[in-house]
Amino acid sequence: MTLTAFPSPPPGADYDDLRQEVRAFLAEELADFPPEKRAESWNGFSRDFSRKLAQRGWVGMTFPKEYGGHARSALERYVVSEELLAAGAPVISHWIADRQSGPLILAKGTEDQKRAIVPRIAAGELCFCIGMSEPDSGSDLAATRTVATEVEGGFRVNGTKVWTTYAHVADYMILFCRTGKSDDRHGGMSQFLIDLKATENIQISPIIDLGGEHHFNQVVFDNTFLPSDALLGEQGEGWSQVMSELAFERSGPERFLSSFALIEELIRLLRKDATEAQQAEIGRLSAHLMVLRQMSRSVAGMLNEGKNPALQAAIVKDLGALYEQDIPRLARSLLSRPAVPGGRDSYAAVLAYTELAVPSFSLRGGTREILRGIIARGLGLR
Amino acid sequence: MESMIFDMAERLFRDHVSHGLREDAAAGQCPEALWTRIEEAGLHMALVPEEAGGFGVPAAEALGLVRIAGAHGLPLPLAETLIANAVLARAGLALSGGRLTIAEGEVLQLERRGGAVHARGHLTLVPFARWADRIVTIAALDGADHVLSLPVKDLTVTPAQDLAGMPRDDVAVDLDLPGANAAALPGSMGGMRGLGALVRSLATAGAMETILKMSVEYANDRVQFGRPIGKFQAIQQYLATMAGETAASRTAAEMAADSYDTAAFALTVAAAKSSAGEAAETVGALAHQVHGAIGYTQEHALHHFTKRIWSWRDEFGTELDWTQELGRAALSSPHDTFWHFITDSTAQGATA
Ligand SMILES: Cc1cc2nc3c(=O)[nH]c(=O)nc-3n(C[C@H](O)[C@H](O)[C@H](O)COP(=O)(O)OP(=O)(O)OC[C@H]3O[C@@H](n4cnc5c(N)ncnc54)[C@H](O)[C@@H]3O)c2cc1C
Repeated sequence: MTLTAFPSPPPGADYDDLRQEVRAFLAEELADFPPEKRAESWNGFSRDFSRKLAQRGWVGMTFPKEYGGHARSALERYVVSEELLAAGAPVISHWIADRQSGPLILAKGTEDQKRAIVPRIAAGELCFCIGMSEPDSGSDLAATRTVATEVEGGFRVNGTKVWTTYAHVADYMILFCRTGKSDDRHGGMSQFLIDLKATENIQISPIIDLGGEHHFNQVVFDNTFLPSDALLGEQGEGWSQVMSELAFERSGPERFLSSFALIEELIRLLRKDATEAQQAEIGRLSAHLMVLRQMSRSVAGMLNEGKNPALQAAIVKDLGALYEQDIPRLARSLLSRPAVPGGRDSYAAVLAYTELAVPSFSLRGGTREILRGIIARGLGLR
Repeated sequence: MESMIFDMAERLFRDHVSHGLREDAAAGQCPEALWTRIEEAGLHMALVPEEAGGFGVPAAEALGLVRIAGAHGLPLPLAETLIANAVLARAGLALSGGRLTIAEGEVLQLERRGGAVHARGHLTLVPFARWADRIVTIAALDGADHVLSLPVKDLTVTPAQDLAGMPRDDVAVDLDLPGANAAALPGSMGGMRGLGALVRSLATAGAMETILKMSVEYANDRVQFGRPIGKFQAIQQYLATMAGETAASRTAAEMAADSYDTAAFALTVAAAKSSAGEAAETVGALAHQVHGAIGYTQEHALHHFTKRIWSWRDEFGTELDWTQELGRAALSSPHDTFWHFITDSTAQGATA
């Protein structure tokens, strides 16, 4: 029953010196960063912050040195990631590139692509977005309709992507689309590396979320020309390439720390005098956090050994989303204190922000139902 | 953990722990012959350090035996004997052999009488007491933890059992213990509650893995509406939920086992035991849902496992006990933030 086995992270995985360095950096950089900004968690955007982080060597940590990386382990990267998230640092500008696009380019890209892009990711300069979902292709990614047709010198792309987080500021998109016909439902797909700033005929328009925020977008490709060297990896291998990104995308600490600012606010208020029932709930929340963190670190350890723990990652994301989604309910059960968007009381503001954020946690990156389907298949249901 | 001792235990339990053996044990019959095999294999000594006569298996690996025993529903005090021997060895007391068990000793009154220690009080829900030679417990004497090795023949044992029919006896204690049976406990093992909670967490994880396996097999085999019920998405979602809970519990229990005898243990074991108890609720309920009526019978093996995990919730601290302890620690910690509390007090080499 290997699916339920999460090997302990190797001894020394705490990297205490590194952790203290990151804490000292964050204490200084985020000294005036208020709780309601921290509540945005990894959705917070600051190119400046990402660049400063990179200057300390904490972006592209696992990338090889010849591509501007630091050749450090996935577990060291994990320490930095979790410290950033626990502090509510604004990381999205480099997050997707650092987490999955960079590793994907390193694994599948051409030498030219690697040389041109990866060092700039490691410098914290590039923001990436993911172009997978479409109006008629959400959970069913293989139903994608956007198509790239081969033409002289490259491809012409037509189609519409939606929910593309930060496409409006991103420098690059990794596009997933159809490049050919195939009898296999998963065949005939490819990935492209698109320079959004230099490519014409791409229309990016905002989609405002229910919190009134502009994070995601609709991206329309209208006969958009991409040069041949925009192809990322093998033509027709897009499906397996996308699948190999998922373990990176689904297992990190961002899959259970998205509501962490609210936890800190809650505990700050309960510290003075908590009833036994409140203590027990905080204990329960602590226990689950310790366990999720251990599971997630275990997956980082497996990634470090070059394994593909996609199933374990699905488990982490499913349990993690349940956890982070439950925090507002828990807070409300322990304190009678209303949520006020943008309120002056930081607890009230953080609660309001988090309440509106949590419905997305079991949608983005693969819905709960889809993850459970993957886990069920992994269990050997025929 | 593909070690020799692991393989040996797996084979031994697979060959000898049958549904019938579990039924007989639940009816009150101690599987003596199986215990002899366990002793011959030396499994009961696995947690004893090499210098005290063990064979130098790392603690986390030795504790892995408890998970395997849980996975087979072993109706014998192997987990208890492992812990008892480790505690006796730590206190420098003789390892007398035989079946041992453990109990939380805080309820006992101790006083020095001449060269002996007099112990008096009432222990409840002592696992397998009537099948054991000795009860090993930890209690305070002169403000310090002391290990007591109580010969069962000198105690009054009143039989009682848990949901699974396993002996959980009442024990009246009123006796003088010579120095050979009472000694101070050095180091950071803590009380018997934590150690008991550790083994129950590991056994729960093992039992849940078996419950999950049985449920997946059943879902693949049972046909309704012309197809295996495992094809129905509702059933798939249940099984996936069970897998997540099982994986989390196992991770939690192994995290506690990794920090056995270190400062981080106090928190990791609290997380492990409360997670195990909570998961037992979900996994047990869903397993019975997947199995339908057949799983609700004495004839089917499922109940041996679900009843065990439900019972273990109540031993060595319930979910409420452990979450309260953990919550108190979190809320009173001197750390600047909750995050620092969590990371620093569970790190390897953490100081209390
Ligand atoms: C905040 C946010 C950010 C996002 N960012 C990006 C991004 O940057 N790039 C990108 O490409 N996408 C992004 N997405 C899109 C995300 O990947 C999709 O929302 C997700 O894959 C689900 O697709 P859908 O929304 O079309 O829902 P649908 O697939 O239509 O699902 C609706 C409901 O039906 C259920 N369902 C669907 N199929 C099945 C099935 N086979 N069995 C059982 N239930 C099923 C789902 O679980 C869900 O409950 C983002 C989404 C959110 C909310």
